[in-house]
Amino acid sequence: MAIWLWVVGGIILLALLVVIFYYNRLTVLSNRVDNSLSQIDVQLKRRADLIPNLLETVKGYAKHERKIIDSVTEARKALMGAGNLQKKIKADNQLEGALKSLFALAENYPDLKANTNFLELQKELSATEDRVAYSRQYYNDSILSYNLLCRTFPGKVFANSFGFKEKEYIQITEAEKELPKVKFE
Amino acid sequence: MSTHTRIDFHDQIAKNKWKSFFLILTIIAVFIALGFVIAMLYDPASFFVIMIFAIFFSLLYVVFSYYSSDSIALASVRAKEASRQEYREYYSLVEGLTIASGLPMPRLYVMPSRQINAFASGRDPEHAVICVTEGALEKLEKRELEGVLAHELSHVANYDIRFMTLTAVAVGMVAILSELFLRSLWLRNSDDNKAGAILLIVGIALAILAPIFVQLVQLAISRKREYAADASGVKFTRYPQGLASALKKIKADNQPEKHISKAVAPLFFANPFNANILSTHPPLEKRIEILERM
Repeated sequence: MAIWLWVVGGIILLALLVVIFYYNRLTVLSNRVDNSLSQIDVQLKRRADLIPNLLETVKGYAKHERKIIDSVTEARKALMGAGNLQKKIKADNQLEGALKSLFALAENYPDLKANTNFLELQKELSATEDRVAYSRQYYNDSILSYNLLCRTFPGKVFANSFGFKEKEYIQITEAEKELPKVKFE
Repeated sequence: MSTHTRIDFHDQIAKNKWKSFFLILTIIAVFIALGFVIAMLYDPASFFVIMIFAIFFSLLYVVFSYYSSDSIALASVRAKEASRQEYREYYSLVEGLTIASGLPMPRLYVMPSRQINAFASGRDPEHAVICVTEGALEKLEKRELEGVLAHELSHVANYDIRFMTLTAVAVGMVAILSELFLRSLWLRNSDDNKAGAILLIVGIALAILAPIFVQLVQLAISRKREYAADASGVKFTRYPQGLASALKKIKADNQPEKHISKAVAPLFFANPFNANILSTHPPLEKRIEILERM
């Protein structure tokens, strides 16, 4: 009689441990998705914060290149003012394009190109570009592992009973990945 | 290598984890088998005394190495803490990788050596340490260095340092147990029966072979962990070419290092000595081949 009691007690304990494990796992992964999402924001802000200094330096050497300087300023403004992540990413892509033309422009100004401050900011901005990409990648990875747990057995059972829902990927369009069209006529 | 099928790093990580798991099960099985044979030879009471003795000493060992493994390793290779001003790219790359991996920022060190090499230490991600050689910072391109750093950060993310410490303890327990058994034979009363004699021979053979076998398993685990770290390093950078090209440079460049103690060799990114059968690291050619198929 006593042995049955032990067996039943053991099974209940084991079941309890499994439930606790899955609840914690789901909570951890769900939080990770939210954190990784805000990390993208942090990196985008960091990038925007670097721009004013860069523009100051550029203005010192190439004041009359208003068009490009304005386009960078505007893209930054759009990034700072964007309400949601999709808009921010879009503005960031625009900013990246504007910065590319700015750095291409610097080729015409040897003094600007040699300016240590300018070089410093250029390096910093390219590192930030990597980080934006990495934070987006981490967001994708996090959501992948969370959804995988929600979708597969036995995680699916626990996700349903605790009310954890699969999360939707926020559609983040890649920066103009299409190849430039070349016409042969 | 285009004729080979592509390797998915997710599969590769899962496969390596399972293999490591089975290897550690093997070590535990050997430990129990050894204990069982000894228990059959002696009365259970002395068996428990021996087991408790072995476990107590290895626990002491694990507690000590758990808390001081990083400082011992760093001191033994004369590593210095890297300053943020002096090593900006090093810091910048690791910071990028911590974003990609979601890990906290490790402490960064540099060790004086012409070799291209690196290692990670520390008991968990909060106390992690990454150390690279001056040679690596000098000779590797940005993406190559990033690949190497991602590999080291993977050791941190996979809890490899903790895992390898535990493996070392398991190996130590088997060694102590078989040593105690072999010594205790001198004190054993001879009761001549045939079954006892056979059991005794089996026991002696097991006691001699078990530590050797278990050490080979430990080396195999270490090699598996290197492959796993390569695969999850690629998960962070999504750029297997960087790591592959760093390994190629190492293959072309590295001379055996005299100043690195054998004890810390398993920690390193690439084997600091010439490779052999008892290596802690898989051959570079094989690692490069797998990376190129990703």
